[in-house]
Amino acid sequence: MSQPGIQISDLSVEFAGGDADPVTAVSGVSQEIDAHRFVSIVGPSGCGKSTLLNVVAGLQQPTAGSIMIDGKPVTGPDRRIGLVFQEDSTLPWKTTTDNVAFGMRILGVAKRDQQRRAQEMIDLVGLQGFEQSYPAMLSGGMRQRVALARTLAQQPSVLLMDEPFAALDQQTRILLGAEVRRIWRQTKQTVLFVTHDLSEAILMSQQVWVMSYRPGRIIDVIDVDLPDDRDASVVSTPAFNELQNRIWSTLQQEAMRGFVAESTAA
Amino acid sequence: MESTVAAPVKTESPHTPTPVPGRRRKRPSTGLLSAVCTFGLLVLGCLFWHLGSALAWWSPATIPPLTEVTPALVEILGSGEFWGDAGRTGFEIAIAFVGGGAFGLLVGIGFWKAPTIGRVFEPYLVSFYAVPLVLFYPVMIVIVGINQWSVIILASIMAGIPMALNTWVGLSGLPPVYLKLARSLGCNPRQTMFEVALPAAAPFIVAGLRLAVVYALIGAVAMEFVTASAGLGFRIRYLYESFDTVEMFVYVLVVLAMSLALTFLLSVAERALLRGRAGR
Repeated sequence: MSQPGIQISDLSVEFAGGDADPVTAVSGVSQEIDAHRFVSIVGPSGCGKSTLLNVVAGLQQPTAGSIMIDGKPVTGPDRRIGLVFQEDSTLPWKTTTDNVAFGMRILGVAKRDQQRRAQEMIDLVGLQGFEQSYPAMLSGGMRQRVALARTLAQQPSVLLMDEPFAALDQQTRILLGAEVRRIWRQTKQTVLFVTHDLSEAILMSQQVWVMSYRPGRIIDVIDVDLPDDRDASVVSTPAFNELQNRIWSTLQQEAMRGFVAESTAA
Repeated sequence: MESTVAAPVKTESPHTPTPVPGRRRKRPSTGLLSAVCTFGLLVLGCLFWHLGSALAWWSPATIPPLTEVTPALVEILGSGEFWGDAGRTGFEIAIAFVGGGAFGLLVGIGFWKAPTIGRVFEPYLVSFYAVPLVLFYPVMIVIVGINQWSVIILASIMAGIPMALNTWVGLSGLPPVYLKLARSLGCNPRQTMFEVALPAAAPFIVAGLRLAVVYALIGAVAMEFVTASAGLGFRIRYLYESFDTVEMFVYVLVVLAMSLALTFLLSVAERALLRGRAGR
């Protein structure tokens, strides 16, 4: 039997647009993710992917609908949820260890556990030897590892990642993507991963949701039936290509629609 | 989930390099170098001063010779009057720095918390910055009387303004992701302020502190010049009016030394407060 991980019911988000018409960022989204599954959302830019993620994280109130995590509703920021941001969120005045322990400190984890767990997570993300380094001495990819370790150290049951590799170069993205997959296969959190990169979505996840341009709806759900221990070489297989073509055929129209809407608005 | 830590994939990528040796090891030598340079410059300056006086490049009424100033310095440093003046000025600077700095910090935080108020008052605060506040000394004297509090109040205002502006700029420029992080972790307002916002704005706040100490010093000495009946600023004016150039120079040197010492102390504090950040 599969347990519920994230349940999104009839979710809509509207923004009051000042004197303009209200903008509907997310409209009528109902989806479920079983616990321990890895799901990606792809969609054209401006489609409300990040808004959806913010609502699931409890950072933003939906206009309608509800979110349940492990069968219990989300009403605000929640310690069952761990967030990884697109921007560099390491705190420049803290060493790697202190950065990784920061979330636990705020959540009131006992001091001794903080040290032990921080070290475990630093080992897990491969930052041994950099415990006392400050972010200024680390590369962008390493800082994102620190942020990931901080989030994992909070031991959330759900991991929400908002384009976590978008600010990194191509090689770092591929390497870090493989790392995230390896870590997920160990820790088995329920993951919702937002990206605009098609192959990244297929490579990382078990299921891909395609989101439409405004108002954001989930217009296609594709199961990725690639081997669980896949690596980057899977990109050249026919199965991968087929998936990519299928997602792209849906996404293409939406991306075009978004492109036209954005350029006429500007 | 904690026991399942497998050996991480070893990659030869640049993203898991070996630890770089800390920059810290270089610091003592640069510190030593700068100390040697400072001392060297000081010796050169004294030499130039002595030479200039000896060769009569300037008249002793303009700049008295080092050979006269040095014994006067020793004598004055031993006098109770000097320590009374220095103590009073030091007290004024300290109060203006601490009081003005704290007040500026609070104002900066307030402006950040209430952006509308910040936008309303910012232009006045900025233009107030440019006003020579010494002009207000008659008002101050009427309000608090001829005592050191008129000096302290004006010096505090001078110290508080850069502090307020810097704090505000630093807080307004916070990367939004820090606040998002704080919110996602469920930080309470106190944690958000002290664990995230203020440390993140620290480079600006520390720069504000450096300005505050300089302005406190300028404010205190300049105000003593015009209003006070004691203090280093007052003594310099008094000696200058009684044509005692030698003693006046002694006091000028003392004020110079004081400002250098304060700047040095602040730079030490800055290094400690901003440890680990880019460029430090």
